[in-house]
Amino acid sequence: MTDHSMICLLAAAVENGEVGFLPLKIIGFASGVVGLIFFLGTAVGMVRFPDFYTRMHAAGKGDTLSTMLMLGGFGLVTMEDFSVGSWLLLIKILAVILFIYLTTPTSSHALMRAAFEDDEMPMTEDDLKKSKRKGKRKK
Amino acid sequence: MKILSLIPIIAIGGLLLWAAQDFPKWGDVESPASKSPVSSHFIGKTGVDTEVPNMVTAVLADYRGFDTMFETVVVFIAGMAVLAILKGSTRGNSRRKDHEVEAEPDLIVTNTVRLIVPVIQIFAFYVLAHGHVSPGGGFQGGVLMGASFILIALSWDLEKAVSRFSIERCMIVAALGIVIYGGIGLLSMMLGGEFLDYAELERVLPVSREMARYHAMLGVEIGVGFTVTAIMFALYANLSSEGSLKQGL
Amino acid sequence: MTEWFAMVMGAGLFVLMIPIIYRIFKGPTGFDRILGVNVIGTKTAVLLVIIGTLYGRVEMFVDFALTYSLLNFVAAIVVSRYLNRTISLKEMEAREKAKGGAKA
Repeated sequence: MTDHSMICLLAAAVENGEVGFLPLKIIGFASGVVGLIFFLGTAVGMVRFPDFYTRMHAAGKGDTLSTMLMLGGFGLVTMEDFSVGSWLLLIKILAVILFIYLTTPTSSHALMRAAFEDDEMPMTEDDLKKSKRKGKRKK
Repeated sequence: MKILSLIPIIAIGGLLLWAAQDFPKWGDVESPASKSPVSSHFIGKTGVDTEVPNMVTAVLADYRGFDTMFETVVVFIAGMAVLAILKGSTRGNSRRKDHEVEAEPDLIVTNTVRLIVPVIQIFAFYVLAHGHVSPGGGFQGGVLMGASFILIALSWDLEKAVSRFSIERCMIVAALGIVIYGGIGLLSMMLGGEFLDYAELERVLPVSREMARYHAMLGVEIGVGFTVTAIMFALYANLSSEGSLKQGL
Repeated sequence: MTEWFAMVMGAGLFVLMIPIIYRIFKGPTGFDRILGVNVIGTKTAVLLVIIGTLYGRVEMFVDFALTYSLLNFVAAIVVSRYLNRTISLKEMEAREKAKGGAKA
């Protein structure tokens, strides 16, 4: 009985971050939060930017970096002990990060090229002035 | 018109959600699925009979082996039917459509695909072979493997992918998958058991009865993976080019 | 602690996906919609890892995340390839209008 309660207490302590690999967890939490901030940038850019190419700029960069940071953070947070299983898990998460690092910019590039060959023209300064004037008139 | 069509969709969706309330709760002991002796038999006996940790794979490939074998045959027949319909359909017509233009393969996309395709294929083998322990198996691994060939066809053009994996070879590989599956079943029948009774394979494999079932399941999954890979690619190649195997999507 | 972190991250991702869904819904061109779908698809890999952390079976859900990001890549390549090899959407619409006009 005492053994069981001891194990429970130890598990609770590890869960609370009192015992174990606190520095790794703190780095993981921090990188997750930084990833969330970058994703906020992506979301704001997707809504606020005026034309497709600028939106793609926000989406391509912010999305790649924030996904990589979040996944890396979770890889560090789930690293409970340094057994073979947890190393395997970290390697798998690193594989997902590598995959996203390769594929997301490539798909952004492919979409950009498809849009450009589909006669979707980037917005020039004159277009921007015109749209601003229109907005003022509406107000 | 769009808003009008939204009304029946919302009505049907609400009806389905309302009907879903009658389902038994998650993990309900009183539900028919938990009460029936079949599920408790599988939960209790799978680990003892076959030493496979993943019950789904054991049920799919061993207890319900007949069903999975004919599922594979259905996949094969679907591929054959598409080939048979599309093979001669465009013989008289000109291949180019009026809305198509020439496009060269993109440098960046092709180089990324060159890096990624081997990784995808290794991952497909992992999913195929690891189906006993984690989610996965023949169908999933075959789909990933077929997706790697489709990716080649998308980033270059269809001729390049077909030159690697021609449609004739696709059909041979697909048939080979079914031959592997049925062959394991026939082998166990010849060794004195019933059709697809893998435990009899212990006479040719140097392992116990339980491990014989384990390894035979892997062989069956490999057969399913062969068929699904080949049929995936053959379906894409034929449907995207309307049977002409030129240029593709 | 870890579970709380996972829950907060999941909620944050969900809230930040709302603007992107707005862009998918409204997007003036089709490319905006595809871009939004692509962003959400990439974030789904993170969401799967979060769900795995909450269920305590990350080693299983990481496989799903890898497969999902692969399929997302294939989808983006399919769309760009199709739009690369066909004439532009505006021209297609113009032709359909011309056809409809001729019939009418």
